[in-house]
Amino acid sequence: MQRLTSPDALEKLRAELAGKRQAIKKTVFVCCGPGCLANGSRKIADAIGLQMEKQKVDASVGYRRCTTGCHGFCEQGPLVIVQPGDIFYCKVKPSDAATIVERTVKGDELVERLLYLDPGTKQRCKAFTEIPFYAKQTRVALARIGTLDPTDLGNAIASGGYASLAKALFTMKPDQVIDLVDRSGLRGKGGGGFLTGRKWRSCVKAPGDRRYVICNGDEGDPGAFMDRATMEGDPHCVIEGMIIGAYAVGSHEGYVYVREEYPLAVEYMQLGVDEARKAGLLGDNILGSDFSFDIKISRGGGAFVCGESSALMRSVEGKVGEPRAKYIHSVERGLWDQPTVLNNVETWATVPVIVQKGVDWFRSMGTKGSPGTKAFSLSGQVRNTGLIEVPMGVTLREVIFGIGGGLFKRRTFKAVQTGGPSGGCLPEDKLDLAVDFDELTRAGSMMGSGGMIVMDDRACMVDVARYFTAFLVDESCGKCVPCREGTKQLLALLTDITHGNATEDHLARIEALAATIMQASLCALGKSAPNPVLSTLKQFRQEYLSHIEKKRCPAGVCKPLTRFVIDEETCTGCGLCLKACPVDAIRGEKKKPHTIEPSKCITCAACREVCPVDAVEVAS
Amino acid sequence: MSTLVKIKIDEKEYEVPRGRYLLAICQENGIPIPTLCHHESVEPWGGCRLCVVEFRKKRWDSWWTELATACLYPAEDGLCVWTRSEKVMKARRTILDLLLARCPGSEVITKIAAEHGVYQTSFAKREGEDNCILCGLCTRVCDRVGARAIATALRGALKEVSTPFGEPPPDCLGCLSCAHVCPTHTIGHTEADGKRTVWGRTFELVRCSGCGAASVTREQVEYAVRTKNLSPEYFVKCDACKRRESAATFAGLLFDERKGGEGPVGPTGSGPSHE
Amino acid sequence: MKTPDLTKLDTILERHEAAERSLIQVLQDVQKEYRYLPREAFEKVGRHCGVSVARVYSTATFYKAFSLVPQGEKLVRVCAGTACHVRGAGLLLDELERALSLEPGKTSPDGKITLKTVNCVGACAMAPCVMIDGEAHGNVKPGEVVTLVKGGRRDAAAD
Repeated sequence: MQRLTSPDALEKLRAELAGKRQAIKKTVFVCCGPGCLANGSRKIADAIGLQMEKQKVDASVGYRRCTTGCHGFCEQGPLVIVQPGDIFYCKVKPSDAATIVERTVKGDELVERLLYLDPGTKQRCKAFTEIPFYAKQTRVALARIGTLDPTDLGNAIASGGYASLAKALFTMKPDQVIDLVDRSGLRGKGGGGFLTGRKWRSCVKAPGDRRYVICNGDEGDPGAFMDRATMEGDPHCVIEGMIIGAYAVGSHEGYVYVREEYPLAVEYMQLGVDEARKAGLLGDNILGSDFSFDIKISRGGGAFVCGESSALMRSVEGKVGEPRAKYIHSVERGLWDQPTVLNNVETWATVPVIVQKGVDWFRSMGTKGSPGTKAFSLSGQVRNTGLIEVPMGVTLREVIFGIGGGLFKRRTFKAVQTGGPSGGCLPEDKLDLAVDFDELTRAGSMMGSGGMIVMDDRACMVDVARYFTAFLVDESCGKCVPCREGTKQLLALLTDITHGNATEDHLARIEALAATIMQASLCALGKSAPNPVLSTLKQFRQEYLSHIEKKRCPAGVCKPLTRFVIDEETCTGCGLCLKACPVDAIRGEKKKPHTIEPSKCITCAACREVCPVDAVEVAS
Repeated sequence: MSTLVKIKIDEKEYEVPRGRYLLAICQENGIPIPTLCHHESVEPWGGCRLCVVEFRKKRWDSWWTELATACLYPAEDGLCVWTRSEKVMKARRTILDLLLARCPGSEVITKIAAEHGVYQTSFAKREGEDNCILCGLCTRVCDRVGARAIATALRGALKEVSTPFGEPPPDCLGCLSCAHVCPTHTIGHTEADGKRTVWGRTFELVRCSGCGAASVTREQVEYAVRTKNLSPEYFVKCDACKRRESAATFAGLLFDERKGGEGPVGPTGSGPSHE
Repeated sequence: MKTPDLTKLDTILERHEAAERSLIQVLQDVQKEYRYLPREAFEKVGRHCGVSVARVYSTATFYKAFSLVPQGEKLVRVCAGTACHVRGAGLLLDELERALSLEPGKTSPDGKITLKTVNCVGACAMAPCVMIDGEAHGNVKPGEVVTLVKGGRRDAAAD
């Protein structure tokens, strides 16, 4: 790519690329997002490429195959989309490649069996825009993901990339950019929800020799993958956002902190930065302006605490990720003690769109306190798992049942977990809650970075609380006493409950300890560490009491407190459980009720998982 | 010159320099605040959380009351602080309860806990013999000395102070600064037959040419010569002998004066004066 | 344990600025090259980055990405993220522990295989997920995980 030395050169290039794109007859997009990759989509991309060559519909005659980032509907993956027409094929196998190329690429027919079957209408959907999962979303930060090749800067430019940067650099003063972001009401989407404009302004006001901007791509929340999908799907929107932010606060050096567990994100962000630099979009005199700025990629070493801003900055400095007390904000004294703006991936990705489309447009979505949209990764016991983006203020019900398609057959909703290890579990009566920063916090959970994990009646809330606490014991940096020693003791108390060794005062002891951990810990990790316990304790106290008083885990998860039995009346004697049992604990003749031999049973729940009629129950 | 600001501690007004840490202010004014991870030779750290105080301040549009560690909280105008409120004492008691569970054998912790009304831990006790509370003083002092021989290893509940690979530390000077700042006296060290052992490494002590006493290690001498531009001669005699010598010189001079010699002259030949 | 060939270490160090900020980045590359952090490399890495060996050791043990002992030829990581947890990652781990006679975090005595858990690989929509040498496998069932790890094909595998 040539070096762009003026905004006109950028527009000229864009027009040129658009012209070339117009000449393309058909494009086959193969989703290579996190979910589809785990389903083998790379093989499908290869097979489609091979078939296109074989059937002579390749690039030389105006056809194109494009591997993209996450298209969103991971549950239905691997996904293949053919344009024009928004033709959407799901659960594609490599052996389908020949058919797809022959009938849809070469010809103009649809492969009926690969189209999405809407369980509501029982109709096949031709275009993905007809699928409820997509129809109910509003995509802003994720708008381009799934529609372009993340490794090709030309793709991003052809889709409007870096137009906002040119606009900011050549038609706005830095202060006007801050003012715009401020008025948009954009809030930090990494969890805290701090006003982005206010943060940028504090940075400008703080005294310092240099200023830094950082993109937090650590995404340590287990159960969240929005940032991974963004960095792997559209790195240039993140880079563009960072350059605009750097221009606004007067920074010349930026860092993208990506966790090493996301090797592809590291690779694509690095590639994106290198390409942008070659094109004159990073480095000295960006687009021929007076403004210079460059980005380095910093690979995290795998520590959840490094999602905390001061710990992340220590990690970028090459140190152990121990947080500092925040009585002086990191925006004033951050990286190498200089004023530093740190925003997460999604926040940066939203900035260019706001610059392009303006405050009114942005504020037309979402709620008064939380304008705009939010990306979520929807997972757990819900039908339509995937990556979604919705306006702030939609209800949890709409997300889980509207977009998510509800729970699996015969399962009932129990809770939804948001905010990761710093968040909490919300029960059914909170389903009509409008999802925004303030409402979720008020309900005892938090937005977090956007992980949303749906749990059904077979999830034990004490086990979930214990799971998160164990996670935090492991991930605490260990610097301060309440977090290091406190979470360890909290885990011990919870383990007593799940093992049936708890006494009646355990809950009071948990609450007292939790209060000190929250009040006295050094950083946000510790201060929010008791949230999973406290929120489940508040919403599902009965379940805790059942463990303590009746020594019974109603969900059948805590092994020492669970005994499975087969309900004679429900059992059809199909024999599936008998085959699934790893220890031969199940007896029974075909078509007659089966029984579990308690002395042999290891409570692995394999029988319950396979039973088609839910005859395996937790004994009372 | 730093500006003075008015703050209130336990309902009493004080005028203090802006930005001075609350712990220092309290110590200067005789307000007792317990702390385990603070030492004047190193930067405040905020690890033990025992020095928490309750404060009230205006943040954005509303008033907040929160706990904060006095060691790290800078004084600002209008700050209201309570050092012994119910919330504070509750947090300190739980922290001491947790520390007591971590090192039930520590006399220091037992004593401070008892002072706060915690006589035994309500939590599961840790197995292990050491009384390390991970206050980080030893590693921070070691960094300050410049040896950087010890650091924390691992993280979370498994965190520990360690030498590289748990073996005798190659960069250690044997200066014992770590052992001296340790609030729970848990860094074991021995000294016998002109040898000192700490962190599993044995150091040879340099003997004073005067009295034969051994007080510094060869590594300390080499380090001081290398980094502080001191002459090796400086370490030939111990401080006690140097003092004795200079006293004798001084006394001699006075004696000479009485005999009608020249005016008093400063002590000579014993290198730069200590301290 | 035989002494590793440290000639590649110089190439790695050349790629990184001689400054403290490079420490974690250098360790990442060393880990990738040798599949662990050979202790013989610590002093040189420390000298390059201007930090003591104790600091290198501290950093190497703080972050999960680093290992002080050689990893097995095959690295199996069971995702223990929240979505995977509620969709039965525990059963997968139990099954692997049993079949491989390995505890999580340990390497088989013959050095062939390392079993680990990882906090989240971001493939939550395909939970539960198992990473085998960097390749993610989604929707893994307890009945097929051992075959999968041993290099066999899954019954339900694509194609």
